Amino acid sequence: MKKSETRTRYLVNFLAVVLLFAVSLVMSAASGDTLKLKIVPSIWQCCYLIIMAASLNLVLGFLGQLSLGHCGFMAVGAYTAALISLAFQRSGFYEEKSGPAFLLVLLLSTLAAGVLAALMGLLVGIPALRLKGDYLAIITLGFGMIIVNVINNLPFCGQQGLGQGSASSALYATGLGFSNDEKVQYLWVAVLTVILCMTAMLLFVRSKYGRSIRAIRDNEIAAATSGINVSYYKVLTFTISAFFAGITGALYACCNAALATTSFAFTNGSILNSVFIVVMVVVGGMGSMTGSVIAAVALFLLNYTIKNGAWVSALPAVLQNVFTYPMLVYSVALIIVILFRPRGIMGSREFALCDIPKWPGMVKAYFTSRFGKKEASRHA
Amino acid sequence: MKKKLLSLLLALSFVVSLTACGSSDTTGGTSDSASSDAVSDTSEGASSTAEEAEASAAEEGSDSGEFAGTITLGMIGPMTGSLAVYGTHVANGVNLAIEQINAAGGVIVGDETYELAVESKDDQGDSTECLNAMNALISDGIELVIGSATSGCTSSITSVANSEGVVLVTPSGTADALTTEMDYVFRTCFKDSFQGELAAQYAADEGYTKVGIVYCSADTYSAGLRDAFAAAAEELGLEVVAEESVATMTEVDYTNQFTKMVEAGAELVFIPFYYDVTGPYLVPQARSVGFDGILLGADGVDNTETTIPDGADLSVYNDFLFVNHYSTELATSDISTSFVESYEEAYGETPNNFDALGYDAVLVLKQAIESCGAFDADSVQAALADTSVVYEVSTGTFSFDDTGTPIKTGVLMGYSYTEGDDAVTKIAVTTLSLD
Amino acid sequence: MTTFIQFLITGLRLGSVYALIALGYTMVYGIIKLINFAHGDFIMVGGYTLFFMIPIVMQMGLPGWLAVIPAILVCACVGMLVELLAYRPVRKKGNNLTALITAIAMSFVLENLAQAIPAIGPDPKVPYTLFTSTVSIAGVSVSSATIITVAVSAVIMVALYFFTQKSRIGCAMRCVSEDKEAATLMGVNVNQTIIVTFGIGAGLAAVAALMYIAQYPKVYTTMGATLGIYAFVAAVLGGIGSLPGAMLGGLVIGIVQSGANTYISSSMSDTFVYLILIAVLMIRPAGILGKNVGEKV
Repeated sequence: MKKSETRTRYLVNFLAVVLLFAVSLVMSAASGDTLKLKIVPSIWQCCYLIIMAASLNLVLGFLGQLSLGHCGFMAVGAYTAALISLAFQRSGFYEEKSGPAFLLVLLLSTLAAGVLAALMGLLVGIPALRLKGDYLAIITLGFGMIIVNVINNLPFCGQQGLGQGSASSALYATGLGFSNDEKVQYLWVAVLTVILCMTAMLLFVRSKYGRSIRAIRDNEIAAATSGINVSYYKVLTFTISAFFAGITGALYACCNAALATTSFAFTNGSILNSVFIVVMVVVGGMGSMTGSVIAAVALFLLNYTIKNGAWVSALPAVLQNVFTYPMLVYSVALIIVILFRPRGIMGSREFALCDIPKWPGMVKAYFTSRFGKKEASRHA
Repeated sequence: MKKKLLSLLLALSFVVSLTACGSSDTTGGTSDSASSDAVSDTSEGASSTAEEAEASAAEEGSDSGEFAGTITLGMIGPMTGSLAVYGTHVANGVNLAIEQINAAGGVIVGDETYELAVESKDDQGDSTECLNAMNALISDGIELVIGSATSGCTSSITSVANSEGVVLVTPSGTADALTTEMDYVFRTCFKDSFQGELAAQYAADEGYTKVGIVYCSADTYSAGLRDAFAAAAEELGLEVVAEESVATMTEVDYTNQFTKMVEAGAELVFIPFYYDVTGPYLVPQARSVGFDGILLGADGVDNTETTIPDGADLSVYNDFLFVNHYSTELATSDISTSFVESYEEAYGETPNNFDALGYDAVLVLKQAIESCGAFDADSVQAALADTSVVYEVSTGTFSFDDTGTPIKTGVLMGYSYTEGDDAVTKIAVTTLSLD
Repeated sequence: MTTFIQFLITGLRLGSVYALIALGYTMVYGIIKLINFAHGDFIMVGGYTLFFMIPIVMQMGLPGWLAVIPAILVCACVGMLVELLAYRPVRKKGNNLTALITAIAMSFVLENLAQAIPAIGPDPKVPYTLFTSTVSIAGVSVSSATIITVAVSAVIMVALYFFTQKSRIGCAMRCVSEDKEAATLMGVNVNQTIIVTFGIGAGLAAVAALMYIAQYPKVYTTMGATLGIYAFVAAVLGGIGSLPGAMLGGLVIGIVQSGANTYISSSMSDTFVYLILIAVLMIRPAGILGKNVGEKV
């Protein structure tokens, strides 16, 4: 690739990001019921799902290790952020959810959430990453459950602390929990967090480190023989992934007025659980950051519109009955995706704005190759 | 490729046929609760024959056959997922109440009558989904919402209800803090601390001195009741000799916990669990390790008779008591007996507390709408906040306290084993109230 | 002392069920190297079949446990159907990871499908209790269901061992588990072998369901989720693919859980189960009775 082309690509992407941020700023200033009640909460949820999926993609897609306990790190982040913000509020550091003092607390609690989650990631990663494949899957699942079980039984943050009693409304009234109006007001925070996290992760996978971990994914033994410290890179990636999961937890705490450990269990009612984050990564394409973004947004929209969309009631009665069991729909959809596109929507390709002009040509090439093949086989 | 498509087609038709037969068998029955459009907000929504029959009966019975409009209530609860049993039962109660009210002529607002309808949302037992559902209901213009079934989910929407000015009546969210400082939030159930205190007081009145607690630390309901019971027990001079917890509310084995109760010499053990574990697991296991004292539960234990396995030793269910909202035996009004009868007729099973509390939520809202003559959130909120109003509903007669929690009297109920006919019967022991 | 004996008995009671489930788990895993997350849900299917069949069987004047025969048939059919519709096409296309994710999806499908069937629904059901008599040992009473479960697990373990070692199809199973391609070359019908494995594994789940509901008489649609995970942990702990290992692993998990309950903290017993698993995998990655297979470069 020519240097000038690379520069254009960076410029285009940078402009797009700036535009995205500007849109979020404009939306923060706007008002309206649909915006406040539907669009903005959806964007918040998309934001944390995107970072969550992308951070798991680091481990699953780029490092090639299956972790089934990713939501455990998110739980650590969420509880850390919530407790820190509550502590600041109770010490009288800030009164209202505005002004530089609150923004400082927001920044601090988010960073602390990431750091603590990263520490947990390090603790879990060092023993767990000696194993691989199914064993790693089951051991991360175990760690995820341990984290939830321990949080449940900590006197200051389990069901008897934040989940219940005055603390849960306190989280809303004084801590991080945003009301609908504040979600609109602070929409830029969520968007900015996504932009920063995604940039950081993209830079990481494009760096020397990223190339090393992809080498480990493709062939561990070959990577080791060419001088890559396999266990160091594995633990490093796992820790970084946990860091971003922790940040996601902080965003989640902002979005929800009450925290309950059941939300972070291995499987639960919503699409936010360790299994569905894995689903997002697989559907989006293992090894494609932009694929994770697309899959996170698509799955969120599917989930949201099944429950609240008008199109479901337009379906025939038989299908409507199927759609009252959303998990059934997702699981069948997942099996279909795996059957027809086992490598996910994007495979390991990335979506790039500059490639859009090339799309018609690519589509044409795809069809001619398919059609040509059929023609050829018919002749044969 | 062909094979793949074929297998896919097979799988899909399998899924569709199973769920489809699920819906066709039970029109007007349990499936109503699952599909949100069963009682839709349009007036032509009454599609099933049963409803039509009732509607025609209503025309004869009431003076005005035509409704001036529709009041749509919102309902949120876990209709699918692992907590589905609570949500579907609340929905059964709500749907029954709405059918009955519409059949009896609807809600009278000023000099016009309105039909009730419900728009129900599934939160799958998750707080984020619950919040989304609440926001969606509000943006659809609904101002009166019933939900959610669990304290955990409800706590994520109380603040939204308050800040957006929407009346929220939770049928079964018992956590104390749900209604405090939330003007727009009400409930039709007990709060945890009240039940815990009632239980402790009963233990003290009966002269027990050594009590034990087995509870679940990871569950809001169980832990809340345990806190209240332990605090009240200390105040009343009861000694809590042993306290044991289990990891989840669906735990299957309680024998180790009860061995410790026996060793500590507890005469009475407080067990804040639901009926789905007390019947098959907890009570028989407690007896099997030699615990022969009193087992005292809370309202969640009601309906244990439906979960006692056939062929089990029934004598173990003796000395098994619980605090409850109401009892058909001690009922002073017809409303609870008629509720039980009509429920059995509509769904073919005995109602449980979730059914009754969902039913009551609708009755309370109806009474509030009729007394203030309007159905916007602010007027209804003002009517509900009037603490002098007395509501007569299926779980007893009560008025709200200033936080929006009913002031009820409790009933002590229990199970008694009769050797002669080898059967367990549910008995009402006494009424309870705090001194 | 009573506490100690009671803790052992409770551990045995839990462990015997885990062991029985783990046998089916390890069997399937051993052949196709797939964590069959849906295995727990086969138990749910078996549980519901038993719930419906036990009264019918008893009306016919036969002992209630004979209902396990229709349950085995139903479970085996469901197991083979799952393999045919989901696992086989995915195995052809994808890799280990996609197969694992399909298994998770299949588990969701079964759970939600069960809930959608009106006769089942979300309400928990309580089946007829079998084997209610108790035996008194050293002043502590043991439910005969516990003893029967341990005995059944042992018998099944031995039977499976001879089946896989001596019978023709068992031989084919071991072949497939070693190397699929080589097995094909040797004239083994791989797909047929795998489907038989699934049938047997799911049938074992029905037996496990019988023993489970005899001790813990309640069936509900999500009952398989945690049970399946515990059983898998047991299978890994004992050494996956090893039949005696699965049984040992199950008993160890049950006793650890019960011990943590009694002596450490009753609300954190799960934590200790996983800590034991992690410790074992750190020290002996192949599990207690597993064979350490060197990696080919």
